[in-house]
Amino acid sequence: MDWQLVWDSFPLIWKGAQFTITLTAWSLLFGTAGALVLALMRLSSVKLLRWFAAGFGWLFRGIPLLILLFFAFFALPDLNVGPVDGVLLEPFQAAVLALSFWTAAYQAEVIRSGIIAVDPGQAEASEALGMTKAHYMRKIIIPQGLRIMVPPYIGNSMTLLKQTSLTTLVTVPEMTLLTQRLFSNDFQFQERIAALAILYLALTTVFVVAQQVMERSFRLKV
Amino acid sequence: MAPLVEITGLHKSFGKVEVLKGVDCEIERGEVVAVIGPSGSGKTTMLRCVNLLERPSAGRIEVDGRVLCEEQPDGKMKFAPKDAIREAREHVGMVFQRFNLFPHMTALHNITEAPMAVKGASKQDAESRAHELLESVGLGHKADAYPLQLSGGQQQRVAIARALAMDPTLMLFDEVTSSVDPELAGEILLVMKRLAEQGMTMLVVTHEMGFAAEVADRALFIDHGLVVEQGKAADLLGNPQHQRTRAFLRAVLDRAPMEESDEPVRSPEEIKSQTERELLLQQQKVERIAKEDGG
Repeated sequence: MDWQLVWDSFPLIWKGAQFTITLTAWSLLFGTAGALVLALMRLSSVKLLRWFAAGFGWLFRGIPLLILLFFAFFALPDLNVGPVDGVLLEPFQAAVLALSFWTAAYQAEVIRSGIIAVDPGQAEASEALGMTKAHYMRKIIIPQGLRIMVPPYIGNSMTLLKQTSLTTLVTVPEMTLLTQRLFSNDFQFQERIAALAILYLALTTVFVVAQQVMERSFRLKV
Repeated sequence: MAPLVEITGLHKSFGKVEVLKGVDCEIERGEVVAVIGPSGSGKTTMLRCVNLLERPSAGRIEVDGRVLCEEQPDGKMKFAPKDAIREAREHVGMVFQRFNLFPHMTALHNITEAPMAVKGASKQDAESRAHELLESVGLGHKADAYPLQLSGGQQQRVAIARALAMDPTLMLFDEVTSSVDPELAGEILLVMKRLAEQGMTMLVVTHEMGFAAEVADRALFIDHGLVVEQGKAADLLGNPQHQRTRAFLRAVLDRAPMEESDEPVRSPEEIKSQTERELLLQQQKVERIAKEDGG
């Protein structure tokens, strides 16, 4: 393997890495916000909200991400349901849309399981003190649930980052697509793919470190 | 004056299991009532109904002039609106068997959270009151400790201080010494004894017969979801009338298997002197610890 060529690949792929990073960041932001809402809906006492959230999870965890991407990019423009007209999205927009729905569905389960894993005695003590549910969810339950949520949340986030490589197929010029272009020109498969793998590893390492920092800061003082 | 707590015809079923089968109980202001009974008798469920942590299947509960629930003429239960229940809970302190302190907050923060969030107390007022309360339960030096850094006895004393910070008119105690090591129970009982002496109205579910005999004004023996016997605590414990009560007390005091027997249990004097001895030992120990920590 020509390590010099691996090294020289980085600047060529870097422009794509910026897409990978921004795709991940936006999808994680929208997805997590949606996940929080979905998780609270699943735990709500209103049946309709519970059903909606459960249905959302069933749908978007049950369909392959690639098909969600295809739908957002290729099918959405032709969509014609009642008053809703088709929407033509840029590749990047379509990718963020599909990835956000996918992330919301998975992270909602993480948040929900984190919340229900907190000792029910915590909610009882809060209620016995006269706190409102909104207050104790925010100050007592969710802060304790965070500790439980961190590992699976980070795990899903790393999967999200890696899955952005699928957006190649809806023509987002992220780093997998750029690498493909490189090696289909010069046939330097080993070096180009090694460089790509190293970049993915570097990016996922950020999550690994973040997980350690978060776990440390949420650890209970004993 | 009307009693502080009026419970009438209280029923509670969990699925098909009927845990309470019609409990009546009144508690006067300033009264300390001990509830005793075998495991599974329904005593904890009864206590939890008083602040509606458990929703009764039937019956009426009134606390300090607020009707929390009652049966409609058609037999359906009517509960006070959610916000009225929440408001009523502000005035009823509860201490749990397993403490239920907030593990991510210091002892001080555990105590200040509710007064600040619920009563709108300023941080400064809430903290100075919390320091006073911690002092009064012998933990003035533990304000910055986290719950998991404290012993069971200390955690439970913080939990009592947390409940008191809301200035309740009624305190509910749910087997508060059952999950601490036996040698630490005394420090909790001592705090409760002082609270009773200050005139707090208390409903205490307990297995500490000595404490019940010494501190409670009245005792209720509950078995199979019904009040079997009630009366002055010292009488009920020293000279129980009902066979079930006798069998239960024998089982608790002598750690004997529970069987019905006509043997007299123990005189109130005997029980009382046993408690006093224990409490005195604990008091000395607590003061010694306080001195060591303070010095």
